[in-house]
Amino acid sequence: MTWTKLWMIAYRGLTRNRRRTFFTMLAVALGLALLITLNGYIAGVMEDGLQNSIRLQTGHVQVRAASYPEGKHSVQWKDLVERPEEVAARAMALPEVRAAAPILWLDAVLSTGDESIGLQVYGIDVASPLHDPLRASVIAGAFLDANDRSGVLMGGRLAQSLNLKVGDTVHLVTINANGEPVEAPFVIRGLFSSGVLVYDESVLFMPLARAQSFALTGNRASTVMIELHHREDAGKVAAGLAQPGLQALTWRDLNAFIIQSMDAAFSFYILMDAIVIMIVAVIIANTLLMAVFERVREIGILAALGMKRREILQMVLYEAALIALAGVVVGVALGLLGVFFLTQNGFVLGEMATTAGNLPMSNVIYARFAPDLFTWLAVWTFLIALLASLYPAWFAARLEPVRALHTE
Amino acid sequence: MPIIELSDIYKTYRIGEVETRALDGVSLDFEPGEFSAVVGPSGSGKTTLLQIMGCLDKPDRGVVKLDGRDVTRLNADQRAELRRNVIGFIFQFFALIPVLDAYENVELPLLLAGVGARERRERTLEMLEAVGLSDRIHHRPNQLSGGQQQRVAIARALVKRPLVVLADEPTANLDTANGEQAMEIMQRLNEQTGTAFIFATHDPRVMKFARRTIHLVDGRVAENSAPPQVEAAAGGLFHPREHRG
Ligand SMILES: Nc1ncnc2c1ncn2[C@@H]1O[C@H](COP(=O)(O)OP(=O)(O)OP(=O)(O)O)[C@@H](O)[C@H]1O
Ligand SMILES: [Mg+2]
Repeated sequence: MTWTKLWMIAYRGLTRNRRRTFFTMLAVALGLALLITLNGYIAGVMEDGLQNSIRLQTGHVQVRAASYPEGKHSVQWKDLVERPEEVAARAMALPEVRAAAPILWLDAVLSTGDESIGLQVYGIDVASPLHDPLRASVIAGAFLDANDRSGVLMGGRLAQSLNLKVGDTVHLVTINANGEPVEAPFVIRGLFSSGVLVYDESVLFMPLARAQSFALTGNRASTVMIELHHREDAGKVAAGLAQPGLQALTWRDLNAFIIQSMDAAFSFYILMDAIVIMIVAVIIANTLLMAVFERVREIGILAALGMKRREILQMVLYEAALIALAGVVVGVALGLLGVFFLTQNGFVLGEMATTAGNLPMSNVIYARFAPDLFTWLAVWTFLIALLASLYPAWFAARLEPVRALHTE
Repeated sequence: MPIIELSDIYKTYRIGEVETRALDGVSLDFEPGEFSAVVGPSGSGKTTLLQIMGCLDKPDRGVVKLDGRDVTRLNADQRAELRRNVIGFIFQFFALIPVLDAYENVELPLLLAGVGARERRERTLEMLEAVGLSDRIHHRPNQLSGGQQQRVAIARALVKRPLVVLADEPTANLDTANGEQAMEIMQRLNEQTGTAFIFATHDPRVMKFARRTIHLVDGRVAENSAPPQVEAAAGGLFHPREHRG
């Protein structure tokens, strides 16, 4: 018997048992829609963390002194980039580069009258377009002025927790290039809100020149941070800027830890996906098996009329395939709808964002379309659904025509 | 040559410790085109006999020859093949596929036999017409009366032009009028097509139509009116099928 005929019988069986067909299909569709939405959201979370880190912390490419230590901020001259403006200018000359500017990082302790707190000071070139996002995130007071010798920009949340406002004076202590502690008063010129809680709570910005004089680094900088038009060009740009005594790092190097923990998180989500797919599989196996039980007599009649075991097996598998296919199509549609909704209406993490450790998460996160991932999920859902129908199909094929006919 | 030859058939059912001897050494021949009834009290082995003849079940001992070919040693697929091509079944409870309409139920054996779409359609409609259901082709079984359902079953059994139709209590769930009508239709089709009919029944109405009656008692043939010489009538409806050698 040809395939088309088995398809025809299978198809008729399905269209005449609409309710059962519909609910099995729905199980597949909802399972897949859930998976796609969840994975779209997870992709959003991960991409958000990476993008925040690139935007606020690492840039796309950084040029540092070859000896700059990883994981802590050194202000010793040997660890800093000499004449960073020249490096920045060379970078700016490259067509792939959108902005480049030196930054000096200091570890500091901030104290008000009765409280002190450890934080990071970023000495930045306030005129560079690199800091446009920061400029745009100022929520009170004003952005920094390059010639200001005592102004700082503080995270709104930090100011709030310390009961500080624009115009208040704070004291900063840092260890300078000679290893000596130094202290100076600063005035809060403005407050910013980056949308990433870890920044809003522990970073302070001041003009580069002031940071350099505060820590006695001369005109040296910790790094030259470079922003590209396309992040894929990072490797090429880094290679072009390498020179003796300096290292050029890409966002991949700089976010190795985040990328690594994203991978780790990803394998966890694969496990979660697998569990959801398995649940869908069990539901399908169960409904199909019930469908077969319900049709013991019908299958017995087909067997009596001369349908072979292999054909009965195929028929049930075809039915499962049709259900699974319809389920996958509807599931993808629903899932994309879910993802679309979450790309428009972010999920508010609020305080939860601070507990995400090294992943600098925004407090509102949007989902993201991840076509590869979604295709992968759809294919697996389909395959597992087919696999789950093997047992019911095998069971149906084993039914004896005689016994089956005795059931009235 | 007989279309069905049974020699010394034994069949025992076992349910746990309990053994029931359903057939106890049955030998019978059936000729092409015959119209016969296997009768006997309940439990005498009629259904068992039909199932063995119809390749739905295997005997414990003995040889069943269908169209001259020993079928007792065939595997499940080969027996399915025979059921598909040379045997038509009619059951007491009609055994229609509930999700398919009258047309599709009748068409099913042709689908299984791989008959092409056009011929399938012609033969299905022809057969539905022959049982007087041309105006009910898109009714589902639950939208048909018992008599109509059994006529669909008759059409389904005959549409593939089988060698023999095995009918187990075909009238048991029909009232007198419908039972008579079903028998008349089957008699007419038997005459027109030359297809043999073998009934299992205790319905006197069926016996009245039968040209030969075989009495079973406790799984043995108690009485066997001689097989009649049937001239396969070249009917207007079908051409008599060619027997396989
Ligand atoms: N599947 C089975 N398992 C066990 N015993 C069976 C089975 N089928 C039939 N029998 C027994 O075998 C014997 C013959 O049964 P069979 O169905 O052939 O009788 P029958 O002549 O068709 O009876 P009826 O007129 O009631 O339909 C009975 O005693 C019955 O109980
Ligand atoms: Mg019986």
